[in-house]
Amino acid sequence: MSEPGARGAAVDVSGIIKRFGDVVAVDAVSFAVQPGEFFSLLGPSGCGKTTTLRVIGGFEAVDAGEVAIDGRPMGRLPPNRRETNMVFQRLALFPHYTVHENVAFGLRMRRVPEPELRSRVGQALELVRLPGLGGRRITELSGGQQQRVALARALVNRPRVLLLDEPLSALDLKLRLQLQEELKRLQRELGTTFIYVTHDQGEALALSDRLGVMAGGRVAQIGTPMEIYERPTSRFVASFIGDANLLDGVTEALEDETVVVRAGSVHVRARRTGAERAGQPVTVCVRPERVRVEARLDLPTVVPARVEDRAFSGTLVKYRLAGGGLRLHAAVPYVNGTALFDVGDAVAAGWEPRQAVAVPAQ
Amino acid sequence: MRMRGALAAGLLAPALGLMAGVYVAPLAVYFVNGFHAFRDGRILPVWTLQTYADFFADPFTYRVVGTSVGLALVVTGLAVLVGYPLAYALHTRVRSRTARSALAVLLFSPLLVSVVVRTYGWLILLANQGLVNTTLRSLGLIDEPLSLLFNTRGVVVSLTHILLPFAIFPIYSVLGRLDPTLKEAARDLGAGWGATFLRVTLPLTMPGVVAGALICFTLALSAFVTPQLLGGGRVQVLPLTVYNSTVEINWPQGAVASLTLLALSVLAVWVLETALRRLPGPEDHR
Repeated sequence: MSEPGARGAAVDVSGIIKRFGDVVAVDAVSFAVQPGEFFSLLGPSGCGKTTTLRVIGGFEAVDAGEVAIDGRPMGRLPPNRRETNMVFQRLALFPHYTVHENVAFGLRMRRVPEPELRSRVGQALELVRLPGLGGRRITELSGGQQQRVALARALVNRPRVLLLDEPLSALDLKLRLQLQEELKRLQRELGTTFIYVTHDQGEALALSDRLGVMAGGRVAQIGTPMEIYERPTSRFVASFIGDANLLDGVTEALEDETVVVRAGSVHVRARRTGAERAGQPVTVCVRPERVRVEARLDLPTVVPARVEDRAFSGTLVKYRLAGGGLRLHAAVPYVNGTALFDVGDAVAAGWEPRQAVAVPAQ
Repeated sequence: MRMRGALAAGLLAPALGLMAGVYVAPLAVYFVNGFHAFRDGRILPVWTLQTYADFFADPFTYRVVGTSVGLALVVTGLAVLVGYPLAYALHTRVRSRTARSALAVLLFSPLLVSVVVRTYGWLILLANQGLVNTTLRSLGLIDEPLSLLFNTRGVVVSLTHILLPFAIFPIYSVLGRLDPTLKEAARDLGAGWGATFLRVTLPLTMPGVVAGALICFTLALSAFVTPQLLGGGRVQVLPLTVYNSTVEINWPQGAVASLTLLALSVLAVWVLETALRRLPGPEDHR
């Protein structure tokens, strides 16, 4: 994991603050993106992720902080003088130009000679799998095709950094999944640094090398998808990414590798991260698929519980459990022959300490 | 369906009746005169194309048509050239809503004053001892007063002033519908302010320009009071021919001249409408 100010970063965002009137949209945000990395900014709407992206692209001037691209401070450089290109959420394709002219726009601005321009536009359209559509009008294209043109229009300029502002949010699910794959392929093939803004956690986890989770104008956590999923450092990140059981309690004892937390009327164990102190209020986060449900269990953490509800979804059996003053969700893999518990059955729910993590309570 | 048809007919009837009764019918009656002859101060009830033949054989006709069309073109061009930057400034530079509506009222204010009053106002401004000439002289920029009255200059200045709002508002309204991200996209792709304007903003607001030009051109072509008062008889335009013919009871000639005026307006509408249909609007990409 790289720290802000890391050497050789493609994009180094340090301590940027952006206010709109009284509202602080971006509040001291810092992160560094490595060359060739697929980095996502993930968060609910209004968390400041799009504003952060627009600051990097030069569309918003910061009130404090600095953005450096390839080590060069950007200051107040306008968008047309930055080596970034943006794929806009609303695409913003030029309706009065053909596909070819849309893609050629950036090259014309840089006075690329006509033969080179033609071949590069052709290559870009092939890259996004729209060969031969150069002569079409934008209005004649489907939503997915327009999306590809927007990508080609940005990529043809070979930007140092490609900025993508929720580019797939207007598409239906099937097309979105298909284009996600293509984005990943493009990024691998070209080795371009991508900064991708999304509110869709599935998208961020599937695409990113690393991601920053944002909330309230701040970065809550930065890490690989796996780190963020496995070791959330805050209640917000734990609940925003994936499903989670969040059990509020108080740290009672610290063992070698585990922390013992009194939650409800029981003791539960979670992996120790090092920052815990005895007597501190914490929240234990455990993913539903890590909770085992058996008639009897021999694990360091066992919660005696009763089945309140059961839902069968083919690959999983989902239980809603209550016991020991806690409510728990469990998702148990279903294979042919797995014994199912009925509503009202007494069960034991438990997990290995390393499958749970304690985060500061809030 | 039948009910809706009846309802539509009922709703349209007053307007259609009014148009037919006070516009189409008198116009038809008047135009019929074009097929009569005029001799010795009297309209002869004979059927002839002689008036048309005389009108279009007279070189003076072409001078008048030339002056009319030329004047309308120049005024339209000036109104659009002055109006576009104004509309653009109103759209991009004025942020507060109150300031924007105040400016809109100010821009529309020429229309609140009667055309005659407004024209006399220009008479005062443009006269040899008027404000414009005295100011220029006291600044030492000119020795002799510029002749701004009773020639085309004064008519052009005054007509442009009057027609300016008709150029500004269509352009302003199209600018307002332009997706601002399109400009950002152009900047992002390396275009500076000028290239963004020339390649994105201007082409996409051409429908507004064409609409404004259309209104200005037809109004300038049929303008009567301004050329009459500020032209001092020396700016001979088609509406003046119609007026003079009518006053002289030469209705046949008046009818032919009005029909010519109408044909020119229709031609202008057709040309610009055709141009408009070929232009993509600011919302075509949605």
